[in-house]
Amino acid sequence: MHIPDGFLNVATVAATCAVSAGGIGGAVKMVGRKLGEKQVPLMGILAAFIFAAQMLNFPVAGGTSGHVIGAALAAILLGPWAAVLIMSCVLIAQSLIFQDGGLLALGANIFNMGIVASFSAYYIYRLVTWLAGANRRGTLIGGFAAAWGSVFLASIFCAIELALSGSSPFGVVLPAMAGVHALIGIGEGLITGAVLGLVLATRADLLQLQRI
Amino acid sequence: MKHSFLDQYSQGNSLIHRLDPRTKLITTLFFILVVVLTPISRWQAFALYFVLVATLIIISRVPPLYVLRRSLAIIPFVVLIAIFIPFFKEGEVAGSYNIWMWQVTVTYSGLQVFLNILAKAWLSILSLILLTATTRFSHLLKGLEQLRLPRVMVMILSFMYRYIFVLVDEVMRMKQARDSRNLGGGRLRQLRTVGNMIGTLFIRSYERGERVYAAMMARGFDGQARTLEKPSFSQRDALFALTLGLVLILVVVANLWY
Repeated sequence: MHIPDGFLNVATVAATCAVSAGGIGGAVKMVGRKLGEKQVPLMGILAAFIFAAQMLNFPVAGGTSGHVIGAALAAILLGPWAAVLIMSCVLIAQSLIFQDGGLLALGANIFNMGIVASFSAYYIYRLVTWLAGANRRGTLIGGFAAAWGSVFLASIFCAIELALSGSSPFGVVLPAMAGVHALIGIGEGLITGAVLGLVLATRADLLQLQRI
Repeated sequence: MKHSFLDQYSQGNSLIHRLDPRTKLITTLFFILVVVLTPISRWQAFALYFVLVATLIIISRVPPLYVLRRSLAIIPFVVLIAIFIPFFKEGEVAGSYNIWMWQVTVTYSGLQVFLNILAKAWLSILSLILLTATTRFSHLLKGLEQLRLPRVMVMILSFMYRYIFVLVDEVMRMKQARDSRNLGGGRLRQLRTVGNMIGTLFIRSYERGERVYAAMMARGFDGQARTLEKPSFSQRDALFALTLGLVLILVVVANLWY
């Protein structure tokens, strides 16, 4: 879902950069207010954690493999603003170090996989745990739904940006992106659920952290 | 602890390596902007951009084959996103296929846009590889900070960079442990194992974060990072930025007029 350079037109680049810059600014402020100087090592190491977690591949269909995006996990464990900050750092590093996602497209990528994915995951999780109860089952179902929803919604925004830039017609890129990511999201959901299950079994207190 | 995939060759010494990181960041951004804004039909301009990047790569003494290999490794992901373009543009039909339930047609104008976007993405990737292969990540961050990226963000990024190596080592060990126990089973079981690995990694990372913070507090951390290095914008930088900027502006003007 990382958009490279060359796909987005200038208007889309400018708009997404502005929104993402605002989002990062808000995240820096919110996290700074709640965590103080503790945020620096913690957020840095957790950004490295997401980066490292993305190296763990799992089999998808037909010999291909995928990896998690991690926004949902970060949002559920630490809250949406902290997740925006962490995902932004991961995406900046990915663009600069691996050229995974373009430099001009960074605004769009941070918007999709940072802001949209984090906030949608957080609120879906809250909604599901409120409906299903804050027990083990609720947590696992909530984790699955949040991760699936975050991937799905992020891909829809990705498709909208591509279509608005004239790179691909809307009627094609939207169902294609959404369809593919509805499948990929299942993997993300199952893994997020498994991670939450393990954290719940070994360090349940980490699920009770103050969420930012 | 040696993961050379992160910024191999950035310790080198060449004209490009010695430039101020700000110069490199801004010229790279400008280069990508010009490439992205180039109209589809200007093949000459794209050839020129390529010559420009290739010249800079040769000056930087980063092995061209390394750059080529890295850039080609990313192209499949670019193609994955671009794959719909050739099929759904209006115009002269180049070919028609019947895939399962869909009747798809490839048009010449669609193919042209497809190749064009691929070329733009590839050129941008080349310039980004050149940027990271000639600049240490710590210098890059310093440059970003001087270019007004929020200070906290820069500090978080530098922490992230420091601990990527540690956590990647951790992941490698976990993978080895998993593989040596010969994980079989179905897809669901494998997913579960990966989930458990990520969960363990999270707990260890979180605990490490707390330990690091405690250690920093013990050494008097007050929220500020202080470094001795101070990259400076020299005459060489001005000359480089001016030359590259002029060449690019000339190309843009030529694109507009002819």
